[in-house]
Amino acid sequence: MDPNSPMSPGQPAGSFTGMGRGPGLFSSYSGARATTISTISTIAVLAALAAVFLLAPGARSVEHAFFNPTDMWQSFIGNPKKGYYSVGAAIWLNIRMFLVAEVLILVLALLVALIRQSVGPALFPIRILATGYVDFFRGVPLILVIFAFGLGVPALSLPVISSQPDVVYGVAALVLSYSAYVSEVYRAGLNSVHQSQVSAARSLGLSQGTALRYVVLPQAVRNIIPPLLNDFISLQKDTALVGTLGVIEANKAADIYSETVFNFSSFTVAAILFLILTIPLARFTDRLIERDRRRRLAGATR
Amino acid sequence: MRRYLAAAGAVIVLGGAVAGCGSSGNGNGGTSPAAAAPCSKAGIQKLLHTKGQLTVATDDPAYSPWFINNTPSNGKGYESAVAYAIAAKLGFSKSQVTWVHEPFSSSYAPGPKAFDFDINEVSVTSARAQAVTFSNSYYPVQQAIVARKGTPIVTKHSPAQLKTYQYGDQVGTTGLAFITGHIQPSKTPKVFNTLAEASAALEAGRIDALVTDTPTAQYMAGSQLKHPPGVLVAQFPSVGEHFGLVFAKGNKLVTCVNKAIASLQADGKLTALQKQYLGIYLHFPTIKP
Repeated sequence: MDPNSPMSPGQPAGSFTGMGRGPGLFSSYSGARATTISTISTIAVLAALAAVFLLAPGARSVEHAFFNPTDMWQSFIGNPKKGYYSVGAAIWLNIRMFLVAEVLILVLALLVALIRQSVGPALFPIRILATGYVDFFRGVPLILVIFAFGLGVPALSLPVISSQPDVVYGVAALVLSYSAYVSEVYRAGLNSVHQSQVSAARSLGLSQGTALRYVVLPQAVRNIIPPLLNDFISLQKDTALVGTLGVIEANKAADIYSETVFNFSSFTVAAILFLILTIPLARFTDRLIERDRRRRLAGATR
Repeated sequence: MRRYLAAAGAVIVLGGAVAGCGSSGNGNGGTSPAAAAPCSKAGIQKLLHTKGQLTVATDDPAYSPWFINNTPSNGKGYESAVAYAIAAKLGFSKSQVTWVHEPFSSSYAPGPKAFDFDINEVSVTSARAQAVTFSNSYYPVQQAIVARKGTPIVTKHSPAQLKTYQYGDQVGTTGLAFITGHIQPSKTPKVFNTLAEASAALEAGRIDALVTDTPTAQYMAGSQLKHPPGVLVAQFPSVGEHFGLVFAKGNKLVTCVNKAIASLQADGKLTALQKQYLGIYLHFPTIKP
């Protein structure tokens, strides 16, 4: 590997070139020179973007419609007497939906992946079902699943099941849809563990289940943490779709404000709140990817 | 329907539009009589989005009784008829009126508009008037409650009892603002993207009642809600809310349109159209929120 790659010694930690590290595809600079160039180029790009925004003919009206501080603050704190709810309070519902859905998805998706990876002939019908489940929920747009649950299940008039709050149907739809995706991520992880690992474990006297639990899964899960987190970042935003069931989450609260006073600044507030939620997770994912890369390349690069 | 409560401050003065004032009505939106000259046929041409045509926008679907059969260009339904009546006053023939589809949420977006005016049951408020220019009132509106037949709210709707129900409504509507601002229920209302979704929730029993303008409420109760049947429970007293046409901020055409509305008011045409399309909707018990 190129010794001058961004991974080489002298790379200042936390500089802009450090973002999105990877094999040195585009850069052969290193050290302070790289930092200087990246800083200048970043400033130039940001300045150009700002100039486009500030000097456009309609800049003033866009600024008023999307970035008006008064409207941003009003929509953030909310005022039901005037017909709109707090976007800031509503994001808490998104966070709770995300946290509950995430745990359920991790469990259900693993179950589906294990079923699809199973080999026993007796499990054939369940394998078919699991495959059908993944095909169906990966293929149907999430918003349709949410509608089908939120409107269909209550209409069935079943005891208990049909009288849940809308949020429950929304989260159920998120879990079913996302589990289909995440089960495929799990499956990729399971497949990434070489068959010889299982053979070795079995030859040591471990049962099939124990080998899975202590040999295959730990390696598989480590491999898929970055793509898993990627799906969860996406899940955080998709909680907004539950708003279609009448639930007032952040995006819906922003929508109400916008249509009530004819100003879009509330959406900017919602966007900022979602960014505050997702960026830390995105940076955390980057770090994990980097750590994993370093670990796997240990001894190979130097 | 959509369209915020004017309770706090409907700024646009009804003045010139009130019947009796006739075509002398000015003082609309602060224009002076001197600016009246552009309302000649030639003057109007310069103000149009597309030369030679009056481009009118509304949402899709366009609901009854404001439009009939979701076809704005058929001249039927109150708002369609009003648009053509205004067009006639401005000197346009029926074939010179072009309809475009404009979602409610983009009708007030910044930037150039794709229409001369938007007619879409939009209520006038001072906050909204900062983003767009409104015409004078072409319909004074009251809010009403729609519920399923035989449910508690149909008989029990004292101000205290009204607070106990689960409401639902379309996002950004006057009805929603009326619920949160005047009824102030203990349960957070459910807010849907469309009126159709809100009425589906009502049919499914997910909400006890929805609040919308009386003509729409009566249409829903009488024609739309069948399984189970709906009923218009009662209407609320007027809070001074009214519908206005939406123009791009500062569009000078509004002066000419306001003159047209005033003249339609004076010669009884607006009242006649209200009788024709909304007449059966106007008499219901009034209750306090």
